[in-house]
Amino acid sequence: MLSKVLIANRGEIAVRIIAGCREMGIGTVAIHSEADRDSLHVKLADESVCIGPAASADSYLNVTAVISAAEITGADAIHPGYGFLAENANFAQIATESGLIFIGPSADSIRMMGNKAAARAAAAEAGCPVLPGSEGALTSSDHALELAEGIGYPVILKASAGGGGRGMRLAWNRDELQHAYDTAWSEAEIAFGDPTLYLEKFVQNPRHIEFQILADSHGRVVHLGERECSIQRRHQKILEEAPSAAIDEELRAEMGRAAIAVVRAAKYVNAGTIEFLLAADGGFSFMEMNTRIQVEHPVTELVTGVDLIREQLLIAGGEPISIPKRRQVRPRGHAIEFRINAEDPERLTPSPGRITHLALPGGPGVRIDTHLYSGYMVPPYYDSLIAKLVVYGRDREEAIVRGRRALEMFRIEGIKTSIPLHLKILADPDFRSGDFSTSFMERYMSK
Amino acid sequence: MFKFEELCELVRLVGSSEVAMVEIEHAGGRLRIDGKAPVSSIPAPVAMVAAAAPTPVAPAENAVATGMPVSPDAGSTTEGETDEDLHYVTSPIVGTFYRSPNPDAEPYAKVGQDVEGGTTLCIVEAMKLMNEIESDQSGTIVKVFPGNAQPVEFGERLFAIRVS
Repeated sequence: MLSKVLIANRGEIAVRIIAGCREMGIGTVAIHSEADRDSLHVKLADESVCIGPAASADSYLNVTAVISAAEITGADAIHPGYGFLAENANFAQIATESGLIFIGPSADSIRMMGNKAAARAAAAEAGCPVLPGSEGALTSSDHALELAEGIGYPVILKASAGGGGRGMRLAWNRDELQHAYDTAWSEAEIAFGDPTLYLEKFVQNPRHIEFQILADSHGRVVHLGERECSIQRRHQKILEEAPSAAIDEELRAEMGRAAIAVVRAAKYVNAGTIEFLLAADGGFSFMEMNTRIQVEHPVTELVTGVDLIREQLLIAGGEPISIPKRRQVRPRGHAIEFRINAEDPERLTPSPGRITHLALPGGPGVRIDTHLYSGYMVPPYYDSLIAKLVVYGRDREEAIVRGRRALEMFRIEGIKTSIPLHLKILADPDFRSGDFSTSFMERYMSK
Repeated sequence: MFKFEELCELVRLVGSSEVAMVEIEHAGGRLRIDGKAPVSSIPAPVAMVAAAAPTPVAPAENAVATGMPVSPDAGSTTEGETDEDLHYVTSPIVGTFYRSPNPDAEPYAKVGQDVEGGTTLCIVEAMKLMNEIESDQSGTIVKVFPGNAQPVEFGERLFAIRVS
């Protein structure tokens, strides 16, 4: 059992982790930059330490400062949240070597899954379907061209060290691939300091489906079903739901088995997510693994009743997963999460500033994870996510109706938010039918 | 929770200080003392301290923490001195503050000592690395803020220097 957790993060996820610790009687330490002195996580934690100036590179990404803060406060564990240092294998390693418990997988697991080409190879070896493509990294553009002839166009080039769409290039024919190879190579070099590329068959209009898994140090691995994350723009998710309209019980069981196989092969421990592409014909393939808690974890919590942060803390403390062994976790009802960003809903550009008035919706089936309060200044230095509105209903229709009324009752003044965008998405016939893919936002924006 | 005497002491402290309100969560209870609310018919004494004046710290506190003999007025600045005359050396990192290179050694810098830009003032240890903190101004040290071996945050005041 952990006694004092340092939260190496800020914003809503830091508040969410404090809530989990409090319910378990675990002490909390908040770290913050100079710009976050008045942030809610600092006010709510038992202790707080200022670790650096506003710039993330000098504060939330400063490994020495974070570890030092844990040492001076006597914390015995670090929860990295998501983003910042959450998927930094070196950070996990240094924390462990400093005698701290890293609330997440081992540095080796993070490293293995962080290399996308290696992760793809590991998934294939574990028996999880992967798209036709290169086995490991590409050696040259000729290598790419040769492979593409074999599997057929279109193909997509991806950076091994990648994420967020950078170092990614789509090619419909030989000429495009020849050209794309060089640009993707230099983009990956600039973005990640590693130009290694791999190649995959490109699936047109897939769904982005991910499986939540939990694995404890006693060898138990469970999956908690899927999250539908196809509503995204430039690889940034906008809203997520569970379950997916495209998945029946049989497919869920099959994908869940594949996800568990990958997790076992990686000797992975703690919470993680396996991302799949789901084609229109129902064929699925491994995309990548996220080795951390995710922004959209509450939708899984609402449909399964499992508190994922609590499970993370238990697992890190050496305890088994608290779900009864014989219980098959099945989604009940329907949950939708709306990411509310401080941004202009039309142009989708950031909109930092002071919150002059705040009134949150409540009532049945409404959960809000946020670090906002009236008078809070949304700083311009960090992610624009300011709140997550998560609604629950007995079925998708009830969740949609509830989501609409909760969005309408959500009052934030002083800054612009993405609430109007969510209301429009909810009114869209394609969204309402449940029949959509990752191209939804592209089509929506061009309407 | 709190004993009656402790409560009285807290109320008295808040009332006589600049602090507007104190909220304490302790042993499952929560206590809030609003120093500015008219709680009695007797007006709370308003501390007439110039806003700019640095808060004097009892010299005894430093003496205990460092084990160094400190002259009676060493911990406080001369009356009437304003912030503008003083330069503050703040911690560039989060870590543990040490006044001397090892427990038996003399402190790098003492109150009353003249220092130049570049003079080592203290050590802040982070992850077993001893980072020597240098003065970025020439002048006389008038105050040492943290006690020896005390944790310090990024940006926390370490020394006050009267710039020469």
